[in-house]
Amino acid sequence: MTLSTSSGGPDAASARAAAVSITVRTRPRRWFRSQAARRLGFGYLLLAPAVLYVLLLVGVPFLFSIYLAMSDATVGDTNASFIGLENFRAAFESDVFYIALRNSVLFTVVAAIFKGLLGTTLAFLLLRPFWGRKVIRGLVVIPFTLPISISVLGWKWMYDSQFSVINWFLSQIGIIGRYGSADWPIWLGQPLLALSACIAVNVWRNFPFSAIVLLAGFTSVPTEILDAARVDGTSFVQRFRHVVVPMIAPILLIGLLFDTVFTLSDLGVVYLLTQGGPANATKTLPVLAYQVGIQAGALGRGAAIALFLFPLLLPLMILLLRNLKRREY
Amino acid sequence: MSDSRPALTKDSVTRRGFLKVTGAGVGGASLLTMLAARQAPAQIKGTTLRILQWSHFIPAYDTWYDAFAEDWGKKNGVKVRVDHIPHLEIPARMAAEFAAGAGHDIIYNGSSILTRLYYKNLVDLTDVADTAAKKYGGWIPSAKSLVEVEGRWYGLPIFYILAPMLYRKDLFDQNNLKAPDTWELARVAARTMKAKGHPTGIALAQCNDANLMWRSAFFSFGGTEADPSGDHPTLDSKELREFLKFAKAIFDEGMTPEVFSWDDASDNRYLASGIACWIHDAISAYRTTEDTNPDVFKNVVLGLEPQGQPGKRVSVAAPNVWMVWKFSKNQQAAKEWLAYLVDNDLEGMVQSRGYNMPYLNDRYKKPMPVIGSDPKLQILQDFPKIVAFYGYPGPSTTPIQEIVNTFVFPDMITRFCRGQSLEDAIKWGVGEYRRIYGKYKQA
Repeated sequence: MTLSTSSGGPDAASARAAAVSITVRTRPRRWFRSQAARRLGFGYLLLAPAVLYVLLLVGVPFLFSIYLAMSDATVGDTNASFIGLENFRAAFESDVFYIALRNSVLFTVVAAIFKGLLGTTLAFLLLRPFWGRKVIRGLVVIPFTLPISISVLGWKWMYDSQFSVINWFLSQIGIIGRYGSADWPIWLGQPLLALSACIAVNVWRNFPFSAIVLLAGFTSVPTEILDAARVDGTSFVQRFRHVVVPMIAPILLIGLLFDTVFTLSDLGVVYLLTQGGPANATKTLPVLAYQVGIQAGALGRGAAIALFLFPLLLPLMILLLRNLKRREY
Repeated sequence: MSDSRPALTKDSVTRRGFLKVTGAGVGGASLLTMLAARQAPAQIKGTTLRILQWSHFIPAYDTWYDAFAEDWGKKNGVKVRVDHIPHLEIPARMAAEFAAGAGHDIIYNGSSILTRLYYKNLVDLTDVADTAAKKYGGWIPSAKSLVEVEGRWYGLPIFYILAPMLYRKDLFDQNNLKAPDTWELARVAARTMKAKGHPTGIALAQCNDANLMWRSAFFSFGGTEADPSGDHPTLDSKELREFLKFAKAIFDEGMTPEVFSWDDASDNRYLASGIACWIHDAISAYRTTEDTNPDVFKNVVLGLEPQGQPGKRVSVAAPNVWMVWKFSKNQQAAKEWLAYLVDNDLEGMVQSRGYNMPYLNDRYKKPMPVIGSDPKLQILQDFPKIVAFYGYPGPSTTPIQEIVNTFVFPDMITRFCRGQSLEDAIKWGVGEYRRIYGKYKQA
């Protein structure tokens, strides 16, 4: 009996269980005092500054813009009344808004395609060893670093209807006629050309950024893997598609995200080149929001127009971030 | 016990009434004395005055203005700081300063006059305006439309920029063309000269010039933008139809599609390059041509605003107004400086090479500085009676500012010139006017 008790058995087991249950009852340990809870709490504490930072710098302005968009706020009055979705309805009533919405999407997508193509080409060129590579790498980022007002004014001159150096060059090599002829392009005066001209300046300004991002990605791919792929007989395109791109995908996606946000919210290029003209042919949402909200003073309606950028960006962000998360595991 | 004091009659003076009247009298007399003596009161000494204004098209004017302000500051013991920014950035800066409740004491508005948007937060400058009016024979009729709200002046107009006709006399003479005294004659000249390689041009893009110049023609055709109260849009009219048909005709016959891409300086270059037979622009075009192409310059002549309807001339000018923030801690010095600036507006006209036109009647005594001594510019002295601003014949209201800033008027013309039907273009333009006015009425 004694042996049986000491070596275990049904009775011993129930006695141990009873003892355990008594111990739990007499010394209750709260969860938040546990080691796991403390570690979790410490983690959140470390995270708090970053969360606070994001909330203050992103959350508060975002909520404030929603508040403005749902009020009759003007730039000259501190009092504003809640008017619900009236400002959004006002935006939908104006056909200029639809033109701006269409142009914003077109501007962003077309510019992204060209920046991707040119950026990739430039990154590959800069990857290869050649004399003066470091200097060239420094020079290519100049468009990106120049103040936007200066660089865009330079382009404005190049697009000038009378003194365009682009037209002069095209005329000299015989592609177009002389000034005043029917085929003399008026870059900022014809709707499609004007939008293309604005996109071209955005591409010129930002494709070095794409190139630098890609270059950083390319240099992080181990050469052994590329060599192994080469030994396996893969072509350049196959290596790029099946080895390089999957390996640098997180960098590519983050770069794409940044570029989309910058392009969609780009005010400077269009505003300085055309102010949205001719006849709103190049009007984008940021330009319209600025003209209505700040220049005309209807802050509420301007905020509502600007907020339409958010649903445009949201699906893309969700897709990209999901993709990124999936790749982490 | 009965009150032994005499009963108050209608003519009696109460203590409170006495204090009010004498206080106002002493205050008013002090201000008048100060203004007359051009001597600032002691309380502004040791203060700082911050002024925000545009970068003038004539850089020499800014150089003079800064030194002039500094000199005034030294004489009056006020530290003056003048900041210049491009005029298109002023509305954004104004909004930021108002939101922050801090910034400059005096803020400038050019072309886009936002008095009605901000007047609750601006200092009442009626006293300064009244003093100037008494001294200089009153303000020109259109001045008050810019700054008056509910009978008070919340801004001080200092100068405006005229846009006359500038035409090539040599080309006109060679082709037996009459001076463009009517818009019809201007059209005939444009049609004739385009065929000979000298078209004309008025901007049809989204820029200030497009807003200003086409409105001059429209108003001269008898059109109006709003009623005199400024509360109701009056765009939709037979005059609008007549004007639009004219605009399309002059575009087709006498211009090139270049005008769709123009900015405010394009027509200056068009004239200076020797291409344009005439343009309708500020005298910056005249000065640019003078500086860059003397051969063309010697043949450039200025003309009065062309008539649309017989005898009807309306010249839409770009106004410039100064305002003082209510949050300014140095309102007295701001008023003193503005009064001094008005007193010296003719000097400003000289320094701007005749570009700045004053708003006060007595300033138009001939010969005026700069423009009175230049035979070609003398015609500018006859403009003040026909000068108007956005919203004509009404004041420069908030809906009008939105219409101007979103370029509804030139866009309506552009649509028609680009091939949209007359009725569709009008429907769009009038619709935009009504929509924008409707928003402000709701608010």
